[in-house]
Amino acid sequence: MALELGAALGAAIAIAVSALATAWAQAKIGTAGIGALAEDDSLFGNVLILVAIPETIVIFGLVVALVIAGFI
Amino acid sequence: MEKIRVTGPKTQLENVIDSIYDLGLMDFDEYQGELDTGSPMEKSEELSELLVDIRSLISKLDPEGEEEASIHEVRNVAGEISGEIKELENRREKIKNNIEGLEQKKKFYRKLRGVDINLDDISSTNSLKFKVLDFEASKFEEEVGTDQYEIFHGRNLSVLTYRKTVEDKIEEALRNTGAEEHEYSDSISGRPIEAISNIEEKIREKEQELEEVKSDYNDISEQWGPKLNYVEEYMSERVEKAEAPLNFAMTEKSFIAEGWIPSEEENTLRNRLISASENKIHIEIEEAGEKDSPPVKYSNNRAVGPFESLTDLMARPQYDEIDPSFMLLLTFPLFFGMMIGDAGYGITSGLVFLTGITFFPQASKLFKALLWTSAATIAFGIIYGEFFGFHVLHTPFYRGDLFTEIFYLSILIGVAHVNLGLLIGAYNEYVHHGLLEAVFAKGSWILLQVGALTGYLVSSSYGTIPGLATGLGIGIPTLVMLYKGEGVEGIVEIPSLISNILSYLRLFGVCIAAYTLAGTVNQMASPMLASGSLMGLAGGTLIMIIGHTLLTFIKIMEGFLQGIRLHYVEQFGWFYSGGGRKYNPFGGEK
Repeated sequence: MALELGAALGAAIAIAVSALATAWAQAKIGTAGIGALAEDDSLFGNVLILVAIPETIVIFGLVVALVIAGFI
Repeated sequence: MEKIRVTGPKTQLENVIDSIYDLGLMDFDEYQGELDTGSPMEKSEELSELLVDIRSLISKLDPEGEEEASIHEVRNVAGEISGEIKELENRREKIKNNIEGLEQKKKFYRKLRGVDINLDDISSTNSLKFKVLDFEASKFEEEVGTDQYEIFHGRNLSVLTYRKTVEDKIEEALRNTGAEEHEYSDSISGRPIEAISNIEEKIREKEQELEEVKSDYNDISEQWGPKLNYVEEYMSERVEKAEAPLNFAMTEKSFIAEGWIPSEEENTLRNRLISASENKIHIEIEEAGEKDSPPVKYSNNRAVGPFESLTDLMARPQYDEIDPSFMLLLTFPLFFGMMIGDAGYGITSGLVFLTGITFFPQASKLFKALLWTSAATIAFGIIYGEFFGFHVLHTPFYRGDLFTEIFYLSILIGVAHVNLGLLIGAYNEYVHHGLLEAVFAKGSWILLQVGALTGYLVSSSYGTIPGLATGLGIGIPTLVMLYKGEGVEGIVEIPSLISNILSYLRLFGVCIAAYTLAGTVNQMASPMLASGSLMGLAGGTLIMIIGHTLLTFIKIMEGFLQGIRLHYVEQFGWFYSGGGRKYNPFGGEK
């Protein structure tokens, strides 16, 4: 029981912290990106890529959470 | 693209420019060499100035339609129209300010509502005075040492009347209690209630005047607007032509124009120029050399065409690079469909994109590309058997039962997609730097994966040590190749190969999220629908409509962003550099 609870908590922490980290990174990049777009809107594709990069962090969080929760 | 150089006598300059403009096929290169560049044709400056004036008039009048007119006619009246517009604008500004002032005053009198005295009666006497105040009457009454005053309370403000003989005491008491005199205090008169209706009457008058100004504006717009539009279009062309020689090389008697033309159009331009100049010019056409940077024009069939807009969203390909639009057609709708996978949302998102094509014609290409994603969403909806979150078709691929499989499938798709990118990258390297470089720089990445896989397979059948030995046996030579091909960056980037492939797990993540979200809306609505009462039915239906509409937009956004980034970030990174110059022929925009 305690083990299951610990695993569930661990999974929750893994996804929550990595989601927060992604959000924090995207907020910073997004702000700068909007600034760049205001100057030159042909940069849209590049800005999209930069904003998208930190999303991988939360995917890793998801994988770790799934491993801890015994899904994989 | 082919490089084209037109040389001829200056007498033919106008002829040549006119013909090139009419065809709209040649993209000029700015001349950079030892000869002087040309200067704009005669009157170009004057034309530009008039064009600026006309455009400013058009932007103010916002006219519709076109009517034939001569430049001469428009030039003569431009100053007059501009004067009239200025006057109308001034009038409008003044009236608006007037109305604003009146509204302020009305607001003030409203605050005095309830004060039923005629202030004129007070100001006409010699012995009385009044102030309009925002204050606490009780405090004031305690403080003031006289009874020679009276307070009339209004809604938010009060009027204090008093004898002039006690003015000092009153003012002191007001100061001590921190009362504020209203800024309009000196300028009001009459009964507040009457004043409000007077002000309203005045506002109506001013609004009437504003309408008159507007109709004068419309008269000018109708009379001159279509003519201005016509002349603007004609003159834009004239100015563009007049400024074309800025890109040319010039000598005393002749000119050289250089630029690019799509190979298949070469003869059209050549024949047209020769006949227009009566064979008095010389045309050279050659293939693009290694040092040249020709502009890039897409050459795709109708199916791939719309996906060019998605490629452009990232960057136009370079001239000698593989155009990834085809890759986008191949896998972007597939990813989108796999993630959203619901026939209902396929239909609603299709409707959204069709609306987009109608209302945003400038982005119609993008929406047409997105229509493919709707089709894929419907197809996957049928495979999964889902319609707005309901499991309606019993297929063996219902995703609610297949989470684990979708998880592994996502990784497999990642491996395939990234390696496809690597293969295209290898092809690009092969074209530019030869076979060896292609194998070292891109092939080594594929070998690295092969090494890891073989190592894993061998270790699971024959034990860890043989597995490790096989893995390292393939891996170490591959690392050396990678180092030769991509340098230290290649070695440092190895973890990114893993993270790129794992990133495809978002296909799985969004897939589950899409499945769960639609189910949640249905779960929220079902108790109400099951209640059987009319209210329950109405409420349930409302929840379904709002919920699924909202989800349509969320899913479009998720499917688009996640799907496109798997291309831009995870796949294009392995082969695509972009940054080509867009093919923009002279006269092409007419």
